[in-house]
Amino acid sequence: MNLQWLIPLLPLLSALLVQLFAARLGKRVAHLSVALGTLTVIVAAYQLVAYIGTDASPSWHSLGTMWGSLYVDPLSSIMSLVVAGISLIVHVYSIRYMTEEPGYPRFFLLLDLMTASILLMVAAGDLVTLLIAWHMIGIMLYFLLGQNTESWPSQRYAFWTFITYRLGDLPLVLAAVLLYQTYGAIDFPTLFSRIAADPNATIMGVPTAITAAFLVALSAFAKSAQFPLHTWLPYTMEGPTPVSALMHAGIVNAGGFIINRFAPVFVHSDGVLHMLFVVGLITALVGSVLMLTQNDIKKSLGYSTMGQMGFMVMECGLGAFSLAVFHLIAHGLFKGTMFLGSGSMIHEARKHDGVPHNPLHTFLVERKSASLKLPWLFIGLATLVVPLFILVIAHWFVAPDFFEKQGAIVLLFFGWITGVQVLFATHHLDANNPIRMMMMILLSFTLIVVGYTVIGHAFENFLYPEEAFRNALYHAAGIDKLTFDGLVFLLALIVVAGWFSSYLASREKSVFGDRFGAVRLTLYSLISREFYVADLYDRMAHWLLDASKRFNVWMRWY
Amino acid sequence: MSFFLMLLAGFFLPLFPLSMVFNALLGRIKNPIAQVLLIFIWPQIGVFLLAWAGLPLDSGFFVGWAVLTAVFYAWRLLTVRVLSQWAGMLATSAWALTWIIAADLPASSELHSFALWMSVAPALLIFIAIALQERFGAAYSGLVVGLARALPRLSSVIVIVVLAAMALPIFPSFFAMLVLLAHSSILFALPILLTWLLWSWAGTRLLNGFVFGPRAETDAADLSSTTTWGFVGLIAAIVVINLIWTGA
Repeated sequence: MNLQWLIPLLPLLSALLVQLFAARLGKRVAHLSVALGTLTVIVAAYQLVAYIGTDASPSWHSLGTMWGSLYVDPLSSIMSLVVAGISLIVHVYSIRYMTEEPGYPRFFLLLDLMTASILLMVAAGDLVTLLIAWHMIGIMLYFLLGQNTESWPSQRYAFWTFITYRLGDLPLVLAAVLLYQTYGAIDFPTLFSRIAADPNATIMGVPTAITAAFLVALSAFAKSAQFPLHTWLPYTMEGPTPVSALMHAGIVNAGGFIINRFAPVFVHSDGVLHMLFVVGLITALVGSVLMLTQNDIKKSLGYSTMGQMGFMVMECGLGAFSLAVFHLIAHGLFKGTMFLGSGSMIHEARKHDGVPHNPLHTFLVERKSASLKLPWLFIGLATLVVPLFILVIAHWFVAPDFFEKQGAIVLLFFGWITGVQVLFATHHLDANNPIRMMMMILLSFTLIVVGYTVIGHAFENFLYPEEAFRNALYHAAGIDKLTFDGLVFLLALIVVAGWFSSYLASREKSVFGDRFGAVRLTLYSLISREFYVADLYDRMAHWLLDASKRFNVWMRWY
Repeated sequence: MSFFLMLLAGFFLPLFPLSMVFNALLGRIKNPIAQVLLIFIWPQIGVFLLAWAGLPLDSGFFVGWAVLTAVFYAWRLLTVRVLSQWAGMLATSAWALTWIIAADLPASSELHSFALWMSVAPALLIFIAIALQERFGAAYSGLVVGLARALPRLSSVIVIVVLAAMALPIFPSFFAMLVLLAHSSILFALPILLTWLLWSWAGTRLLNGFVFGPRAETDAADLSSTTTWGFVGLIAAIVVINLIWTGA
């Protein structure tokens, strides 16, 4: 049996041992769980190193049954190590964090089962194994979020998560069924080779690849909290913090993973890639706006994750699949750390907020601009030119023909805009030496962009070694030149308008007077109620339940 | 002849309103063993009748009627609070789906196994209902909440059985649903998935009505360790048999 099997089996064994020895060992069972988690990380690291070291090609390992197989490729190898690593950190953190909570062994049992499910998902070699793992993640998350069985809010939001995940499970089931009915295979190597051989196959007159890609995308939207299926994510903070960390660092990234797993299907589905871009864009915008309006640190982090997931899906929509994986790993590590540290921060803040009431506080907390320190025009020009220059140099360094790809241009554009915004925002900050501060910001920005580009490029070559396939993904994500230029122009206009309004807002007296006061108030109400999406779902659910009850009474419950 | 046979089968692989007969009968029978037997035997009679009528079925009318019945009963399940009624309506919703396979397959063996695997969760729910009735006088969702802290063993068993009722992996009904979808067209796949989603919703409502919530103030005894392991062993055996059956 291949060593890869050990990776999902070790956490499963851990769960079994925790259940069997919980009564005898008490809280010490957690150490058993951590020990096996450590072993899982070692095996996953060994597998990844062995894969890279031996220059291996993807391999498929079956139990010799109709289903039950693993697919070892760069994606599963790297994801296995990431998931096992994050899970181990969460395990170690939970030993002390959960010690006062009831159901301590149960928590570790569920954590192990969740880890096993995710590890099985990332390495699944056939559709049925993938579906089982995909479903199991939702089930385990439901019970982990509802760890406090006595809290109604915990149960309520655990249910929101569960039902959204179920909504995401079912399109994947349908996609799997369509692929099986059309291509007659459930194992990935055979399935993907048959799709490559006949990408335009249809079922009942419907193109299978495009339909399956659409359904996989729907599934990814639910799992990765894309608008309007995002409402569960910010509210899952009722669950234990280690679960939030695991969820934001790993589980919510499942959408990005599944899109990458089905890359051989998406490469023949250009329209679906465009849809991914649009949905990701809306999600990133909504998530970012809602993040800025929250006064609860964990909820704000939740919306931040939503925004990041939007970016991740958007990257897939641009054909930059490997970048999405790189993004999800980087974001997972970053966000996991933030969640695990949020408890300490809250604890510290209760004693002393530690925030000096200087202009930085005025800018970030009170949302008031400090006085300008450098000429506005100079900063405006510097912020426009410098990030663009850095991005151009960075991408020229890794691949001179990069600019011929539309996806890359859009990414450059976003990088540029983000750089501009960061620089322009920080320009308002007070400092003893503003020129030195600007230089430091530019230096760090340069390091981040160059590092990101170089690593991203290397990562792309690792995940998708076939250049033709990489180009095909970018080609599928492309749009015609006129639309593309029009969109870039429109986006540039929106950004400049936003930038200009930001400048006007920073003036002591608005040039527009109170003309847009009502509009701003309405917008603020909408945002503060999170666009009423959750309320709408709540109303629909109540309507369905009321109607069901009335009908049952009328039918005398038969 | 074939039409009347199919109409008769509509009582056993329930089609609304003929389905009311089964649900009324299940409600009238008080003996739990008889209830479980009824759950296992009733749909098998329907499969025999369908086989007699001739497989594969060529009546889109009956298949459409069955799909609507499945969705309808799944929706009604959302607000049912008596556990035995819940089991009955779940069975009604699940068995109705047998008609879809019947429209695609010439042999009845897969229909028999589908109906059998879909009967497992409702039958197990009857056993749960007995355990609850013995302790609280009624198996009524919301009557005593928060059993997770008060009676952890019974709660664990309830959770496992409700997960089976929702047709989640790795319970037999999950694989039965996959087989069903493999035999259905896109047109019928959507209502099937809707039915599946509604089962999940109804299942979580059931868990909230028994397992979760503030700790129940009760002196009722929990399941004994032997009974719990026996029950879990029974479910594990069913799962393993099904895995072998489905070719794992």
